[in-house]
Formats: sequence, C-alpha cells, structure tokens
Amino acid sequence: MLKTAFKRWFCALLILSLPVAAAAQQETASIPAAATEFVQLILSRSGSPPAVAVTFQNLAGLPTETQETLQNAMFNAFRSANVRLVKPEQSVVEVQITFSEDWQGYVWVANIQQGPNSQLVIKKLARKQQAASSRAPTLTIRKISVWQQETPILDFFQDNQNLLILDPGQLSLYTSDVGQWRLRQTLGIPHQYPWPRDMRGRLEVHDREINVFLPGVRCSGRISPPSLDCRASDDPWPLDAGLVAFYSSRRNFFSGLLAGQSAGASVVPFFSGATWQSGDLRLWIFTGTDGRTRLFQNELASPVAMFNGWGSTLAAVHSTCGSGWQLLTSSPADTTRPDSIQAIEISGHDAVSVSSPLDLAGTVDALWTAGNYDQVVNGVLHSPSGKYEAFTLTVICNQ
Amino acid sequence: MKRLLLRLFVISSLVLLAASAHASSRPRYGGNVRVLLRDRVMSIDPLSDEDRPATRDRMAALTFETLTELDAQGRLQPGLASSWHAENSKRIWQFRLRLANFHDGTVLTAADAAASLAKSNPAWKFSAPDRQTVSIETPYPVQQMAEILALPRYAIVKRQTDSAGAAVLIGTGSYKLTQWQAGEHAQFSANEDYWGGRPFADSIEFQMGSSLRDQLMDRQLGTYAATELSIDQLHTVEQNNQTVTLSRPSDLLAIVFLQNDSGGRPGKKPVDTRVREALNLAINRAAISNVLFQRRGIPASGLLPQWLTGYEFMFGEATSLEHARELRADAAAFVVISPISLAYDFADPLAKLVAERIAVDAREAGIIVQPYAESHINNKAARSSINADAVLLRTSLESLDPSAALSARMDDLGLFPENTAAILGATRAEDLAQIERKMLGGFRVLPIAHIPQALWLNNSAHNWQQMANGTWQLDQLWIEGAR
Repeated sequence: MLKTAFKRWFCALLILSLPVAAAAQQETASIPAAATEFVQLILSRSGSPPAVAVTFQNLAGLPTETQETLQNAMFNAFRSANVRLVKPEQSVVEVQITFSEDWQGYVWVANIQQGPNSQLVIKKLARKQQAASSRAPTLTIRKISVWQQETPILDFFQDNQNLLILDPGQLSLYTSDVGQWRLRQTLGIPHQYPWPRDMRGRLEVHDREINVFLPGVRCSGRISPPSLDCRASDDPWPLDAGLVAFYSSRRNFFSGLLAGQSAGASVVPFFSGATWQSGDLRLWIFTGTDGRTRLFQNELASPVAMFNGWGSTLAAVHSTCGSGWQLLTSSPADTTRPDSIQAIEISGHDAVSVSSPLDLAGTVDALWTAGNYDQVVNGVLHSPSGKYEAFTLTVICNQ
Repeated sequence: MKRLLLRLFVISSLVLLAASAHASSRPRYGGNVRVLLRDRVMSIDPLSDEDRPATRDRMAALTFETLTELDAQGRLQPGLASSWHAENSKRIWQFRLRLANFHDGTVLTAADAAASLAKSNPAWKFSAPDRQTVSIETPYPVQQMAEILALPRYAIVKRQTDSAGAAVLIGTGSYKLTQWQAGEHAQFSANEDYWGGRPFADSIEFQMGSSLRDQLMDRQLGTYAATELSIDQLHTVEQNNQTVTLSRPSDLLAIVFLQNDSGGRPGKKPVDTRVREALNLAINRAAISNVLFQRRGIPASGLLPQWLTGYEFMFGEATSLEHARELRADAAAFVVISPISLAYDFADPLAKLVAERIAVDAREAGIIVQPYAESHINNKAARSSINADAVLLRTSLESLDPSAALSARMDDLGLFPENTAAILGATRAEDLAQIERKMLGGFRVLPIAHIPQALWLNNSAHNWQQMANGTWQLDQLWIEGAR
C-alpha cells in the first residue's frame, strides 16, 4: 500500500519536475544577455568606475547552480566593460546585487553605494510559464497546437493550404507560406446586439464555402475570393454529422430543439451534444444545462442513462480503437482551475473511461468535431495567461 | 461551543456536497448569488468617505465601471474606454469611449465621463472634445494614467437627485442596484443590455455586518455563495475541508502618526522623530505575523508588499531593542517624551491584539504606548477629530500596478500628498523605490504587516475570481443549480 502510494508520488514528482527543468534550461539560455544589460545599467548610473566591489544576495529561492551562473555572467559583464572586481575595502563603489522576485517574475536589484550616496537599479525579468503535462495513457489523446492569439477563438478550420480562425468580431484567413501561417484577409462580422457572455460560435467549411454560426447571426461566404455576408438569423447550428440544433441567441446553450435528421424532436437545453451509429444503434448524448449528461438510444423521447459530474463540453471522435467511437469530454472544473480532457466510450448504458485525463494549462472553451466529422476534434483552450489556443485532438490506440 | 460550531459546519458541508454533485465547466445563466459581508457600508458611492472602502468597492464594482481595468495578471485591459493615447509629455491623455448605456437607458457620453472624473480628482482638468473622447490634462506628467483610471475611485458615475432631493447614482455596469439598505443589505440585478453581454447570475445579494459565527449557529451557511473571513476564522473553516481562498498578503497594517498635514487634530504636538524611529525598531513584526496572524501575515517593512514590487526587502531593518533604547535616550535629552496614544479600530478584534502587542514591545524600549479603541478611524474626515498621537490603520491594496497602488495607499493613509506628482511621474521601478524609501525615512508611517484577505466559497459558486490584491472580479460568476 505504502509502496504504491510512494510510486504515485514519485511519478507525480517526476512529471512535475520535468517541465520545471525545461523552463530552467530556457531561462539559463537568456542569462548572459540579461546580465550584461543589467551590468551596463549599473555602470552607466555609477559613472563607469574603474573598480567595484560586488556582493550578491538570493531572495528569489534560486538554486545554487542558477545563482552561480548568474553571478559568473555578471562578473564577466563587469570584466568585459574593463571594470576591475575588488574587495569592498579597496573600492569606492560597492554594488549589492539582490536576486529578488515579485508575483510576475524575477526582480534584480542593485544598490550602488558611492560614499554617502546610494542609487538603485532594478531590472524585471519575466518568469517562464511551465508547460502542462500529460500522464501515461491507456488510450492516448494526442493534442496538437495549431494557433495562438490574444483574442478569443470560437472555432477554426484548417487544411493544407488554409487556416480560418473565427473570433467574435471577425473571421481571419491565413494561408500557408513555407510552413508559416500568413494572414491573407480578415472578414468582419457585424452584429446588432451585444454578444452574450461565454460567447460561442461554429465554423463550417465545405468545398471552400464558409458557413459561420453565431448567437443570432449567420454568415456565409467563400475562401477564395475571400468573402463573408452576415445577417440576423436563428438558423440551427450543425454540431456534428447527424446533429443540428437551435441555439439560444442570448445565452450560451442550445435550446433543446433539434433540426436536420431529428427535426421536431426536443431534449432538455444542453451545452454540447453528439450522435453516432454503433452497429444497429443510433446514439445521442447531450450535456444538459442542469449538469446532467443524458444518453439516448434509437429515439429521443427519454434518456436510457444519465451521468453526473461530466464537464459541459464534449465532441465525438471516430477511431480504430475500442468500439470505434469515443467521446472527448472536458472536466467539471470551472475557469478558476485547470481543465483536462478524457476519452469515454459508451458500453450499453454505461460510460467507461478509456484514457487518462489529458491535463491542460487552462480552460477548454470549445470542442467541436472537425469538419470531416471523423477522426479529429477541434478545441480551444483559454490559458490563465490570457492567450487562446486552437488545437486538434486525435485518439491513438495503444499497442 | 467550538464542537457545536464544528458540527454545524459539517452539516453545512454535507448540504454543499449535495449541491455540488452536478459540476460543470460551462457557465449557467440564472440564480441568485448570496454573499455575506463582515462589514457595514453606508454608501455605495465610490467617492464616499467610508469606514470600509474596500467592502464598498466590492459592491460598487458591479454597477460602476472604470475606463480601464487591470486583469488578474495585472495587465491593462479596456473598460468603458476602448482605446487611449497620451502626448509625449504624458500630461495630456485622451480616452476613446466604447458604446455603452447607463442603467437609466441613456447613452454614456464623454461629457458624463468627464463630469464624473472631475469629481474624483478636482486637481486635474477633464473635458470632452467630442461625444466619445475624454481628454485629461494634468499639471505634471502621469506615466501610468490608464492604470490610475482603473482605481475604483475613478469609476464613472452619473450623479442625479430624485424628486425628494435624494442622491441617485447611476452606473453602466453588468449589474443594476435594485435594493439598498445602508449598512444592512444590497441587491443587484443582471443588466440585460450590458455592453459586455448579460451576466450569468440573475442577481447578487449582499448581507452586511453579519458574522460567520452567527450564520453557522443559524445553519444558514449553505445558502450563501461566499462569505468574507477574518484570519482568526480560517482555522475552523479549513479543518472542515471547506474551500477557502486567500489573496496574497496585500492589506497593509501600519501605524500612522497624526500630524496637522496628515489629517491629525489641529494643534496636536507631533511625536519626536527619534521616538518614532525607536518605536519602529522595537516592534517585533515577526511575532505579530506568526502568532496574531497565524503565519498568514507577512512582516511589513515597506508600503507595498514584496510580492508586488520585488524590492520591499530593501526597507527592512531588524528589530533592535538596544538601538531603540539609544534613540529614546537621545530624544529624552532634548524633549519630554510623553506616552503615545495609539487608536485602533474598535470593530477589529485583531487590531486590538496587535496594538496591545506593540505596546508591550514599546515598553521594552522605554516607550509608553497607550492603545485605545476608536470608531471610524479609517474614515479620513473622522480621523481629523481623533485625539490620538497615532492610529493603527489597515488599508487595502487598490491596484496591482505599483505606481497606482502607492498613490492610492498614500491617499488612504492621508500621508505625503506632496509626493503624488513624483509617484505618478515615475518612469522606472527604481524611481518608485526611491520615493518609497524617502517616505519611510521620516518614520511618519511604520508598516507592521501585510495581511491577506480570506474568503469562504460555496462549491456551487463558480468563476469567483479573487484577485491577488483581494478584490473580487465577479463578471464571469455563475452558480450551480440555476436554471
């Protein structure tokens, strides 16, 4: 028992320490340049004395190795500027350098004492963010980052040539240029009423034709030549290949009224849903606004099972693993805690977890089955740093 | 009694556990969010002289907005202004307003914003060159104007009077004030037409002046989404695995010596500088933080905390009774040293303990400190009539920007108004550090501790964001079980 617990702790420690070590390496790489700049500032304030006495203090909890690297970098910077490093009793200029920190990063403070006068030099350095880690999988969810930006992303589309990013105010079209996405065009999305909070949107691209679904607004256009026409509309949104539903235009959920193949049917209001065929069975699943996830088989009159404790965002993905269909779901965390994504299979009336959670450094804002309605799920992550990341998820079978 | 409290807390926890069975990440619309506040607020006007301005600001932020905002990472974000720029001199700034409506349905204009801002700071000139542009002219450069305007005191308020002559305050925020009983109760309802989208909750209700203990006795805690906690209540709550969030140690507890120019009683003889310095050296801050604040507080040596600036450590000087006694003896050779009367907030039991501890430390250095309780010591107007040599004040950290935070803190403490221009004109961190060092040098203010703000959160409340400085950002708040 104790051994198992120890193993778990050891694994957790290992997983946690890996990104820290990587971040430390990145920081070490930029040390000489920052140290040189800092020393130059000290020298310019102190009138470039021929000799200085330098002492160090570490209030930032830097490891000894990092502190020594920093100190050596600064000593080298002084020497490069032809300044001799001497003992305090031999110098008229004493520099006390403190490696401090604030809530956002490192703060280097130099207190320059020249006789009765003292001056300060302060340099702030951003602390690198630690990457999220994923645990050892049984069935593996693979996340590939596609795009990052400062403004919200609602949905996106990508193929070999094009990347389309939908945000609340516009659709941005990027084209591939030697492996880099270059902005080709932005197409504005006019709207009459304020967007609801927790804004959502859906982007569909088929044969270079664009369809955008936003709360109370529908846009259509083309990738080439770029065009987009928007109008007020309550048209239903496509969720995946067989599921079309009406969206509440001033809220963040689907009303429950379905369209398309299930036209006329209604379920309780839901945040996200999926449908797929498993043998003879047609299955639907909806994450209700009441916190319950409902599973339907063959007909939508009443659910065959209800699950609690699921996240509100999910999308279905087709794979060659297990039963062939998995649901990728967000965790029940709210935006104050990091989110995760887990693969779940439906077996009879039960939901079975088939992967370890993929831990993410932020909140999952959206999961949509990608345009080919097959093996890829498009997701959007909102990180605590304020950035939005578009990513794809695929499922890989374990050997 | 303690066992009873614990048992009641367990009952409350079970109620909450049942309520939180249906967790989810996507916000839900609807529901009434009930919040318990420790203190009483008499006016919601961001410019009112309140005993508890931080509590007032928590409620006022729902209904009154600022031109700019600082997010949880301390980054500047647009608020009612969508963009801004300054002339090179940083003496003239222009802010472009977004399209927004006041709660009475009228459109926010630059003239409204200028009139409101002029009330906030009569020393600056505010004008409206066009309907959407607010121009600000200052007598000295203001480097961080956008950060300054994010302070609660610069919230945009349309001030009117009703037919009975009573003041009516109208805001643009995501919630409208629908019920107000001064010092008792406030209710805010969702603004359906808010420019940033209707908020998720239907309403937020605040119950003021009610203690956590009372609610536990009434078995009512489960009906609240959140409750303010004091440091001495944390232990009981944490023992029961409840969700407690602590801000960074952001409030400053400090002794301020009252003088004519710092809100003191006219004619009052100031305490000798050497005696003030001696007292500063005699106070055992570590003991106060570790024992009285149960290791949640941090000994303070500066006006701004180390975590915010990274340079507070420079102002620290270790407790030295020997040096304190020397200074006291030095002063005694020239002046008669009278006992120092120290007023503390009568409504704050921890302030009493701290003041008494300071008196004990002072006695070790041969200085007599006589603590006594006073009401309204945080109220600047009331402070001028206090017959004390010094006051023990607790002030909140109003901004995550060091420059804005320092200028606001100086204003709250009623100290060094002559340094405002220097603080606002500072372009580098070292300039601010030098100003702070200079202000501390005269021992008019003796920082004692930085203290966090604590909050108990019901598991059904989501996206309740307590910022690093303890302020609340409730614009994404939603509640479980709402329809």
